[in-house]
Amino acid sequence: MKNQRIIVTDPTLRDGSHACSHQISVEQIRRYATAAEAAGVDYLEVGHGNGLGASSLQIGLSLVPEREMLATARACLKQTGLSVHVMPGVATIKREIANAMEVGVDLFRVASHCTEADLTQRHISYVLNAGKEAWGVLMMTHMASKEILLEESKKMQSYGAQGIMLMDSAGAAVPDDVKQKIGLLAEKLEVPVGFHAHNNLGLSVANSLAALEVGARILDGTARGFGAGAGNAPLELVVAAMQRLGYRCRADLYKVLDAGELAEELFAENLPVSNSITIVSGLAGVFSGFAKPVQRAAKQMGVDPRDVFVELGRRKVVGGQEDLILEVASELAARQKPVADGKPR
Amino acid sequence: MKSRLEQVRSDTSAVLKGRTELLKPLAGTHLVITGGTGFLGTWLLELISALNDDHQFNTRVTVYSRSTPDFVRRHPHLGFRKEFRFLEGDIRFLTELPHEANYIIHAAALTDRRLFASTPTAVGEVNSVGTIRLLRAASLLEDLRNLLLVSSGLIYGPQSLTMERINENYSSGFPCDNANAIYAESKRLSEAFAASFVSETKIPLVIARPFAFVGPYQSLELPWAVTDFIRDSLAGRPIKIMGDGSTVRSLMYASDFAYWTLAALVRGQARHAYNIGSPEPVDLLSLARMITHHFSPPPDILTKVGRSGHETTRLVPCVDKACRELGVQLTVPLAEAIQKTINWHRTPEVS
Amino acid sequence: MQPTPEKMKVAILGTGNIGTDLLMKVLRSPWLDCRLFAGRNLSSPGMMKADQLGVPVSGKGIEGIVQRRAEFDLVFDATSAEDHKRHAVILAELGLLAVDLTPAKVGKICVPAVNLEECLEAKNVNMVSCGGQASIPLVFAIASANPDIEYIETVSSIASRSAGPATRINLDEYLATTENAMAVFARGGRTKAILNLNPAQPCVHMQTTVLAKIKEPDLEKTRTAVAAIVRKIQEYVPGYQLIVPPLIESNRLAVMVRVEGRGDYLPKYAGNLDIINCAAIAVAEAHARKHSPPMPVQNGGVPRP
Repeated sequence: MKNQRIIVTDPTLRDGSHACSHQISVEQIRRYATAAEAAGVDYLEVGHGNGLGASSLQIGLSLVPEREMLATARACLKQTGLSVHVMPGVATIKREIANAMEVGVDLFRVASHCTEADLTQRHISYVLNAGKEAWGVLMMTHMASKEILLEESKKMQSYGAQGIMLMDSAGAAVPDDVKQKIGLLAEKLEVPVGFHAHNNLGLSVANSLAALEVGARILDGTARGFGAGAGNAPLELVVAAMQRLGYRCRADLYKVLDAGELAEELFAENLPVSNSITIVSGLAGVFSGFAKPVQRAAKQMGVDPRDVFVELGRRKVVGGQEDLILEVASELAARQKPVADGKPR
Repeated sequence: MKSRLEQVRSDTSAVLKGRTELLKPLAGTHLVITGGTGFLGTWLLELISALNDDHQFNTRVTVYSRSTPDFVRRHPHLGFRKEFRFLEGDIRFLTELPHEANYIIHAAALTDRRLFASTPTAVGEVNSVGTIRLLRAASLLEDLRNLLLVSSGLIYGPQSLTMERINENYSSGFPCDNANAIYAESKRLSEAFAASFVSETKIPLVIARPFAFVGPYQSLELPWAVTDFIRDSLAGRPIKIMGDGSTVRSLMYASDFAYWTLAALVRGQARHAYNIGSPEPVDLLSLARMITHHFSPPPDILTKVGRSGHETTRLVPCVDKACRELGVQLTVPLAEAIQKTINWHRTPEVS
Repeated sequence: MQPTPEKMKVAILGTGNIGTDLLMKVLRSPWLDCRLFAGRNLSSPGMMKADQLGVPVSGKGIEGIVQRRAEFDLVFDATSAEDHKRHAVILAELGLLAVDLTPAKVGKICVPAVNLEECLEAKNVNMVSCGGQASIPLVFAIASANPDIEYIETVSSIASRSAGPATRINLDEYLATTENAMAVFARGGRTKAILNLNPAQPCVHMQTTVLAKIKEPDLEKTRTAVAAIVRKIQEYVPGYQLIVPPLIESNRLAVMVRVEGRGDYLPKYAGNLDIINCAAIAVAEAHARKHSPPMPVQNGGVPRP
């Protein structure tokens, strides 16, 4: 197992977008992409937090237009591949995927909620027909059993996906969950399996290593964990741990550490922290990217953001459903209002 | 002497005693049973009647069947209950299910071996087309909590003689290209359709694989070994065994069959299959003796009645999974099952 | 004694779940009479149900319509975009009104709460999409109250189980159809549509949010316009409910509705499918009312429309 090289994908400039409300600048992209290329990660993922076409009022408007973000990164990368996250239902083939291809994206990671893999069929096929690489991605994987994840992964594999990623988008998993799910996929799928961690319960690195233990060949990590909610598995820690455990990868540890130092400077205002919001979010099993929108809405409506997370979790809200934050916050606010006689409802 | 009805009621009380908590999810819900007037269906209705009468379950049932008027006539104590509704129709032509259905037991199938011989095509069609129709209708329901597909222990193929019991992962190949294969194949196909539906629609679905049973309400006209033996004994005729009597089966009593079925419905894990049957093996010769023991004078047992070379076969389920995951046990051992069944058949039917 | 209004004779093409639900609505309508339920599979559940209810059926699809062309005035097409492109030509030749529930986009975009009157002039109307029917009235209301819309967006969440294989494989087309139709009513603002599928059980009801970027939004006027149009929609979609009235949060105008289906044939959680059917019925009934003799006034009361 350990003689196989582990592929390292770095979505600092995509997942990190959530952490700064999608206000990543051209300068930040240029400087970090240069460092990522030097560090030797296999792929650098760039774009809005929810992927191609997601710059929207629903999830948040990007500071920089998508094409420009991708072109900026493209210019800095030679050995490192340029990757994008694609969600059918948000991104379309004709507009977003075609544009991204023109700019020179190498890898399209086509994602769906963990039970809806059939939404990715056409998009994966389109990418493959154009001669680019396509992986299938299942999000919010804490919401499905390993059997369901296997079944959905097999669908993506049958569409031609060349790799399958399980994303713990809510940061809700513990190492044993990861071993069960990644383990089953690694055993039964033909294509390499990967894991993308979030740190809401402080387990991102442990979960990532657990994934490697049971046969994952791809890991996501972001510089200083710069990403949604409590952030992702910090790339520097993942690469360091891999070295300690004897896993090979193309990335150079010192250069990865340098990229981490750079990220600390570049993204100083939005480096991930673990706090009551992110912890409750992880326990409630809510998409990590909701952290900032929940805080904003809760503040405006005068309700406790933790209560909003708990309710969103109870309703089993999936990624992309940020509008429900408004509904829940409004509802909670209405419940708090005292009635005419001064007594609370 | 207890009447037939009293015997059945006593059986249902016995199997439910101390075990109603497990079935609590059924309380206040609407259950649909297709094929609800067959052997299993009748016992399910008896159990639900007891749960409603004695334990305030308030479970409503809609039964689909092709022999409703006959059923209502023969079992007025079930046919006229106000919380049971009986609909007449062929499962192949089902258009929709009651919108308020919460649970479904799909037991509609052609299971008579004599039909397999004369009209195998109809058997295949009802078992497979009927299942597709049912699954499509089920995927339109508002609040479906679980669907139990009643499959068959025959889907595994022939059991190897050296295996004591077969569990849910067992599989042995068998040729599909002759008419004899139609029952097992159509049941396997219905399981494959179920898996496909689940993959597309994620409806909650559990599979039950029943083996062999005995008990009141089972027609003695059916061509199973146990029914043949009992029928011949009651008629004072000798029991005829085709082979040397070494073929091994197992038999579960009807009340356990019905209880385990309900348990699978409310506690079965989605996408899982459960063997339902007795794990106690019995060879046909011993079974024959257990039956004749109840008659005075005991009828003769003739073996090797068939042509020479009649094969010994074995079909005994391992039910550890059901016991472990559903929390069920066998409550009526074989000897008692035989005795109760014979007593019931000896009790005259009240007109 | 008042003359009873003569019912408009209609046919339904397409006997799947949507066509069957439409049939139930036609049967309940005091203005419409279903003279034919046509599809390709006589043994489908919808066909059998129609037959059980005494509605004439045909397994010959569009041919069934052609053969009996004199028997009806209006045809609902609930087949597929591919098929409707063919059917539209035939129906036009036959001089029959067409109400298209597919994404074929052949005819005039029709959202009853917004442009019903104009649509009565058209021979072929297109019902856009489920998200379109839910959001376009809101887009229209927002545009009517705010002249300066830079950008307007709609996000719909539907139960996974209400999204069949056709919806899933045509997701991109659904988004494009919805965006283009929104643009017609958004007064120049850029448009975007997003669709989310949620597998939670019990199944979630359809929910639609419209978000707008407006220079100087007039919240009061918007609230009034939205409330008015919601009332209008509720006339033909009783389960359409405003759950978050217009508000401004994080520099955007937001409004949210939930659509509970009637549960005629499709389950109530499939409000997305129900709303498009209700809209189609509304158009047909409007045609029927237009062509029926006027009702006499009774006891000084207002004549029924």
